[in-house]
Amino acid sequence: MAAWVKGDATDAGTAIVAAASLLAAARAPVIAGLSADVAAIRAAYDLAGRIGASVDTAGAAGTYAELGALSRVGALTSTPAEAVGRADAVLVVGAAPWQAPLMKRFIDTKPTRGRAAGSDRALLAVGANATASLAWPAAGGLAEAVGVLRAYARGHLAGDALPGQIVARLASAQYGVLLYDPAELGEAGVEMLQGLAMELSETTRCFTLATGGVGQDRAVVPVSAWMTGQAPRSGFGRRVPEHDPWRFDAARQVAAGEADAVLWLASVPVARPDWLSAIPSVALVADGEAAAAEVVIAVGQPGRDHGGVLWNEPRATLTYRPASAPTDLPSAASILGALKERLITGQAASRSEPAC
Amino acid sequence: MLSVIRGGRVVDPTAARDAVGDVWIEDGRVIDPPGRAADNVVEAAGCVVMAGGVEVHSHIAGGNVITSRLLLPDLYVSEAAPEGHPFAHAGGAAAWIGSTYARMGYTTAVEPAMPPTHALATQLELADIPLLDRGALTVMGNDDQLLQLLRERQGGNAVRDLVSLSVAQSRGLGVKCINAGGASAFKDGALRLSLDDEIPCYGLSTRQIMGSLLDAVEEIGVPHPLHVHCNNLGLPGADDSFIATLEAAEGRRIHFAHAQFYAYGAVDPANPGTGGFRSAAERIAQAITDNPNATLDIGQVVFGQTVTVSLDILRQFAGRKGANPKKWVLNAGDAEGGGVVPFLYRPRGPTSSLQWAIGLEIMLLSTDPERTILTTDHPNGGPFTQYPRIIHLLMDKGERDREIATLPKIVGERSGLPGLEREYTLSEIAQLTRSGPAKLLGLADRGHLRAGARADVAVYRDDANRTAMFTAAKLVLKDGVPIVEEGEVVEWRSGRTLSLTVEADKGMAKRADIYLTERFGEGLDSFAVPDAAFGEGTENFEAVPCRV
Repeated sequence: MAAWVKGDATDAGTAIVAAASLLAAARAPVIAGLSADVAAIRAAYDLAGRIGASVDTAGAAGTYAELGALSRVGALTSTPAEAVGRADAVLVVGAAPWQAPLMKRFIDTKPTRGRAAGSDRALLAVGANATASLAWPAAGGLAEAVGVLRAYARGHLAGDALPGQIVARLASAQYGVLLYDPAELGEAGVEMLQGLAMELSETTRCFTLATGGVGQDRAVVPVSAWMTGQAPRSGFGRRVPEHDPWRFDAARQVAAGEADAVLWLASVPVARPDWLSAIPSVALVADGEAAAAEVVIAVGQPGRDHGGVLWNEPRATLTYRPASAPTDLPSAASILGALKERLITGQAASRSEPAC
Repeated sequence: MLSVIRGGRVVDPTAARDAVGDVWIEDGRVIDPPGRAADNVVEAAGCVVMAGGVEVHSHIAGGNVITSRLLLPDLYVSEAAPEGHPFAHAGGAAAWIGSTYARMGYTTAVEPAMPPTHALATQLELADIPLLDRGALTVMGNDDQLLQLLRERQGGNAVRDLVSLSVAQSRGLGVKCINAGGASAFKDGALRLSLDDEIPCYGLSTRQIMGSLLDAVEEIGVPHPLHVHCNNLGLPGADDSFIATLEAAEGRRIHFAHAQFYAYGAVDPANPGTGGFRSAAERIAQAITDNPNATLDIGQVVFGQTVTVSLDILRQFAGRKGANPKKWVLNAGDAEGGGVVPFLYRPRGPTSSLQWAIGLEIMLLSTDPERTILTTDHPNGGPFTQYPRIIHLLMDKGERDREIATLPKIVGERSGLPGLEREYTLSEIAQLTRSGPAKLLGLADRGHLRAGARADVAVYRDDANRTAMFTAAKLVLKDGVPIVEEGEVVEWRSGRTLSLTVEADKGMAKRADIYLTERFGEGLDSFAVPDAAFGEGTENFEAVPCRV
């Protein structure tokens, strides 16, 4: 197994001891990334809960655009397979969704189930696009554009300008889908888009569908919800889960000097943030390299080196992926378990000290 | 180790036992008095000893439950973590669910709505509920694969094979259908569906879909009868749907979920939508008495804020206008999808008061408490944490009268509750919460304290304040191991998930693999719930055999 402490190659045991002491010395540790399989995500939350760390994820921008809108207005959604099987009109909001693997299925196929089965599928766009049959460039920004569409749907605006035509086409569809990338659209835009879908569903059927985000955020959200009762970002320093997307933003905490150690978890490779080098850090990564952090432990990539449960984007749920090329690299979950053992044992030994 | 719980009032209706006595335990099982001295003696004088509680219908895991936490982060209160578990006091979390049930003396709980497309996620979540044994019912009745098969009249054997494949793949404990055909109809524009209405694009009816599932469950030998959520939940006149569904079962075993929500007779049958409803508890209770093939659970309403979660998206979409606070989530996803609508059962409000009264009335009119299971359809009628209060109301006419006195007059005008004198005995409470649900699930070694029973035992301090008594047990044993003492968890152990052993037909597996690959781009493997997903060396599942 590959491991490094302060750039020097070492063995696993030494690296785990170094990582545990780094975390034990911290007063406000952060566990970040969480781009990992469910076993490791669970282990990360368990560890965070026991040592009072806060938790942040790799794909937070998109995740919070979704979660913020969800907790304020709710959502009206579909799944990729249902959208492909049923939609006779798809509105692509912004540029990012055109890059999603799902787009090819929308373009190449027709609806096969439900009352729109066999009919053609209209592709509509907010943002300039040559593939769409109807594209509204919407130079003013995506969220504003969605707001305008919603105003047409509610009848606050009328006429046959492009946005009016788009809304009319969606209103005449049997099963409309509004496809978007939450990170691109932003929280206010997502909220507006949910309102548009709800408005259109008063008379027909229209649902939103988000394209995939970064890392394993889509797996982290349910695991966090069932383990702690709360969505990420959250902190456990007060021994109750506190959900606060602003306060527990790892980048903000590091920049403000609030965090004093980070454990970066990325057994599913994802871009490392710059701030990792600005703070005492431990990295559990599949693409292990000495410079990644103060303590680096190379772990197996789930679905490749060992089996693991991962987010399945086309199916929009969790799926077990067996090892495609098994190795004896340790799983991130097992390293987190070993860290917990060391840290909790240490805690038990010093429990006689009065709490402050 | 040989243990004895000595000198408690042992209540086991399956053995007609309600007297002071001992319960002997060895190797995780209840045994007959062995004639040897015990290694461990638990003094239970002044206490009531019952089998561990068994829950048949409580939404404790799955996509809707996750969404409800995201939609309403403040629904439950969190308190500082107890010794030994970081999240056991985190309101609404899996560990909170497990520990709260355990403190109430429950040792088994079943999630009634697991869609096969999301089985692994649901099973992983269930596995994180500590202390209890768990299980989940596999939901069928809206998915295109089944509906296609029925539309093409491929016959009972094909349906049976698809049901057994779905149960085996998802590792369910039984089968449920939720407003069969309703979710599919919703996606195709429908807003209402009754038993014989045509489901768009398939030319089928709820009666046909449910009938085929009733037959399949019997042929496979699933111990738990088909668990049915009828059409028209919560609407005035829903009692007609309930009775029509019961008649459509034609004598086959059937379980009705959350019957209270169907015991609403239309005040003005000519205009059911506008005239409001009155209690149909007598009609429902009589129907259950007359049909020994049928069972029900209550779905008792309790006052206060809650959230409704259901795969009945037709109903949830209709209910969106009543969302309180005004936000809701509906996912028209694969098969059923799901809907989450916050709801306030307004304290002392006329509608919620009547709903509250109807649930109690059904239980108090029941001639067979073993076929009348206590649930709140958590969290739909309210949280399961209110069971002790509901038990109190059933056992104490005076307590009931005091509560009724605070409620609007409609309770007396439109329900018979105020006139009911019955007070449940402890034996009847044990039927409602132990022996009844265990029999219903086909779990022969649970719900009683006869020799051979699993040593899941709850010991309560006998207290006229039944709310206090049943909220925090003095002692709870799971498989003979103390998990709760003096109302607090003392041992954070993990239970097992009960899963039916059922053989899947190879031909159907092949067909399903082709169908799923076409629709999802991935085949049967992608829908699997393998042991490896739960961590090496852990035995998450416990096999439950089919009926012979």
